[in-house]
Amino acid sequence: MDGNLVYKSSVGSHSMNAPRVARVVLPLLFLAAIPAPKPRIEVAELTLGNGMRWLLFPRHDAPTVSAGWVAHVGSVNEREGITGISHLFEHMMFKGTRTIGTRDIEADLKIIAEQEKVRELMRSELKVMRERLRRGEIDDLLKPENQTARYRELEAQFDDLVAKQRDVIVKDQMDQIYTRNGGEELNAFTTEDLTAYFVRLPSNRLELWAWLESDRLIDPVFREFYSERDVVFEERRMRTESTPLGKFDEAFNALFWEAHPYKWPVVGWPSDIPAITKEQADEYFKTYYAPNNLTGILVGDFDPAEARATIERYFARVPRGAKDPPEMVTMEPQQLGEKRYIAEAETSPTVRIWWHAVPFMHRDRTPLDLVSDLLTGRTGRLYKSLVLGSQIANQVEASVDLRKYAGSFQVESVVKEGKDPSEVEAAIHEEIRRLRDEPVPAEEMQKVKNQGKASAFRRLSSPFSIAIQLLYYDGLGDWKYINSYADEVDAVTAADIQRVARTYFTKENRTVGVFLRKEAEASPAPATAPGEGAR
Amino acid sequence: MTAALLVLAAALQAAPAQAPAIPDSPDKLVFEPLAYTPPRAADHRVVLKNGMVVFIAEDPTLPLVDIAVTIRTGGYLDPAGQEGLATLTGSLLRNGGTSTLTADQLDERLDFLAARVATSIGETAGTATLNCLAENLDDSLRLFVQVLKDPRFQEDRLALTKDQALQEMTRRNDDPEDIERREWNVLLYGEGRAVNRFTTEASIRSVTRPDLVAFHRRYFHPAGMIAAVSGAFSRAEMIRKLEAAFAGWPGTRPEVPPVPSDVSTAPAGLYRIQKEVPQGRVSMGLPMVKRDSPDIYALEVMNEILGGSGFVSRITRTVRSNEGLAYSAGSALRFGIYYPGAFRALFQSKSRTVTWATQLVLDEMKKMREEPVTAEELDTIERSLVETFPSNFDSKAKSMALFATDEYTRRDPAFWATYRDRIRAVTAADVQRVARQHLAPEKLVVLVVGDQKEIDIGDGKHQVALPALAPGGHVVTLPLRDPMTMKLP
Repeated sequence: MDGNLVYKSSVGSHSMNAPRVARVVLPLLFLAAIPAPKPRIEVAELTLGNGMRWLLFPRHDAPTVSAGWVAHVGSVNEREGITGISHLFEHMMFKGTRTIGTRDIEADLKIIAEQEKVRELMRSELKVMRERLRRGEIDDLLKPENQTARYRELEAQFDDLVAKQRDVIVKDQMDQIYTRNGGEELNAFTTEDLTAYFVRLPSNRLELWAWLESDRLIDPVFREFYSERDVVFEERRMRTESTPLGKFDEAFNALFWEAHPYKWPVVGWPSDIPAITKEQADEYFKTYYAPNNLTGILVGDFDPAEARATIERYFARVPRGAKDPPEMVTMEPQQLGEKRYIAEAETSPTVRIWWHAVPFMHRDRTPLDLVSDLLTGRTGRLYKSLVLGSQIANQVEASVDLRKYAGSFQVESVVKEGKDPSEVEAAIHEEIRRLRDEPVPAEEMQKVKNQGKASAFRRLSSPFSIAIQLLYYDGLGDWKYINSYADEVDAVTAADIQRVARTYFTKENRTVGVFLRKEAEASPAPATAPGEGAR
Repeated sequence: MTAALLVLAAALQAAPAQAPAIPDSPDKLVFEPLAYTPPRAADHRVVLKNGMVVFIAEDPTLPLVDIAVTIRTGGYLDPAGQEGLATLTGSLLRNGGTSTLTADQLDERLDFLAARVATSIGETAGTATLNCLAENLDDSLRLFVQVLKDPRFQEDRLALTKDQALQEMTRRNDDPEDIERREWNVLLYGEGRAVNRFTTEASIRSVTRPDLVAFHRRYFHPAGMIAAVSGAFSRAEMIRKLEAAFAGWPGTRPEVPPVPSDVSTAPAGLYRIQKEVPQGRVSMGLPMVKRDSPDIYALEVMNEILGGSGFVSRITRTVRSNEGLAYSAGSALRFGIYYPGAFRALFQSKSRTVTWATQLVLDEMKKMREEPVTAEELDTIERSLVETFPSNFDSKAKSMALFATDEYTRRDPAFWATYRDRIRAVTAADVQRVARQHLAPEKLVVLVVGDQKEIDIGDGKHQVALPALAPGGHVVTLPLRDPMTMKLP
């Protein structure tokens, strides 16, 4: 059997140079003797000389290894003007290196330098175009008819250089190599707090992974930067601009956060994405992708001693950054009064309430998590009250979104057709009041604790999913949450629930959104193109 | 430093005993061979006394038990005018209580046990799943079987579920992706078919509790069920528990009519639907073979090269990576079980570049027919399909579910044993032959959902108009359906 799921504390951190004590698992017989298993994984931690941390968890259910690394950088580290750069950067990390993705690196770099010169001239033209926009002479920088003649001429020059570059580059070579070696799930994601890169490979290809990943940490080349920037804008159009609530979600989030960099979207504002430069991306890499800001993860079918040797060989050569990345210091000021957002959208009537809560590392994280469990689901208080009881809503759920530096508690409900959203809002507040004023009965507490324990096991079902969770929680600052969650749940009391409800669920701490269905226009599409004449 | 010391120092630097130098290319890495034999369905198959087929595997990794039951039924059995009956029955099994427990009591009991029970009936099958802690297995299993055997179909829960379905209906035209998916199915398979009918306000309202009771009585019996069971238990003991839990079920093996196999595909052409969004959604394709066709291996390789394997495939490379015209661009190929599957290339691009990107995808499809794929493309895809094959079986729960589906759909048991060899045998000539045979341009259907006026303006760089790309020169503007009646205005 797989004996790596052990029921004791995980080991502490130790350096790669320490004596090679394999962090082996406990013998099977001993495990079987423990009556009440706890959801834990035994993860070995190590740190290389260059500061890169590692988390290793062998598990042998299938002949594969899920491997990845997380950079402790996300949109929270950006500023206005370059919003979206963390995510664009994530895309650029797949564009190759001095070795991968090119037939002739010198010719390639020369073309990139020429491209940058043209782009610099295009940026001057963009300044002119922005000026025209401010004067009201044009309506949208992205429409070809609004571009200056000089801009279009430069763009044609740039397109020629792109065509020339195609002769020297090897398209998406890293993808090609992984694919023909059985790589699956090759991908990456960016959040407000972290950027994670991962793949699943046949277990005999671990060294290939080490080769390719260490290579892109040493010598990435951000070729095809500008076409990839267009791809990212299409991603924004797909996820945000063409979905019923995408832009409204973005606006609501921006209202909720006042000072905190969480207020801008991870994908970036539409004005910023097309303005990000390759030079800014190069700088970003130097600052945030040094090994001292990274954690590597291996989960699956590998031999720990061999894996350590491979990691040391390939990743110790990545040079440490000249200095540590700057700390994110902005804190959200205490909200002084309730905020409200009312909009008409193509959706069923919906009520949304967010309260400022706590960062992921905060000691109140699990009591708040249990509050969301008490409220949500078929037997949750909100469903029983709003959907089954007064029948004023058709859906309702509560959740916590605890990020690295700050968090929120969220309730969202779809109002039944013909019912009043203000009634739904009042009913939500009534359930919140009960949490503040009345202790939760013992049996109800036990129910959510039972569910917490079961979910702590369920989340360990697949090695790939464990790898993603390690990347994610390490990115938030505490991968050991996976192991401590069940104990944290056990420790929560009814008094804790009442205390956090009183602390966070206050009127002045909340932002309320009401979305009403936008009535379809009676007449067909207007004669002028949308956007024209709109100011 | 003496010569000897220099040599020694160089040796230490260059070759510490167990750390050979890092090669300058990943192609120079050598990997230990990895032999893999997939599990065999027969080793896990058990037939209970009541006729229920069970695929069972012990998996002590976590103290959990998974049971997934497939029931021979489906939405295709909805009587005309009562579209949605099967879906509502599937939902109310779990949500409507049991003969001995009200819906509230059942919900509370399952939530207290932290047991997850879910039931649904899809187009061609019903499913019921249980995931519970091993320590609660007996209680959880008892409730699970009650849900399947003795549902209460409580009236107020039926009313709620119908109301939720009706509200969902009002959102049918809100998201362009929903419009695209729905109309694509209509274009490919026709509107009136048993497996492709719409629920409407009238059909949902017409469904009553006695209809649910009758549907359940007609199709639910262990002899019409297949279970996939895995988790922390002993096999012999679990079989005993299942025998007891599913014993004494009234009735006999249900007579279930076969899934109809007829399809009616729209004439080749360009179909346009107006939706005011900044990005157009494009689907292009045609019906394909059923999975008993000998061409499936070559077709799978063809699709992977054309658009099915991300950046390694041609459509993604051309439309996304080279031109930056889309975030999502590629193709999907589905082999039919009961009726022909489908090939579908799809992408989303800003309105102005929809036409140019459509042209690029058409070009790639044409190239597939006219030129053989390269040896490198063929090698990459075949190696990928062979190397990733073990992932089909990467957990016990997944393997058992796969065996259950194969049993339900009566797949040739030799399929998995021979799959890798069949893939390795595909040649570039095979790929071109199936592309010519099946990617027939004269049958192609193209659907564009988006802001048609903006789309027609074009990108200002390429002199091509969307209607000029219409297969057979056939252009149809489709209006949006009324979301509650699904009638076209």
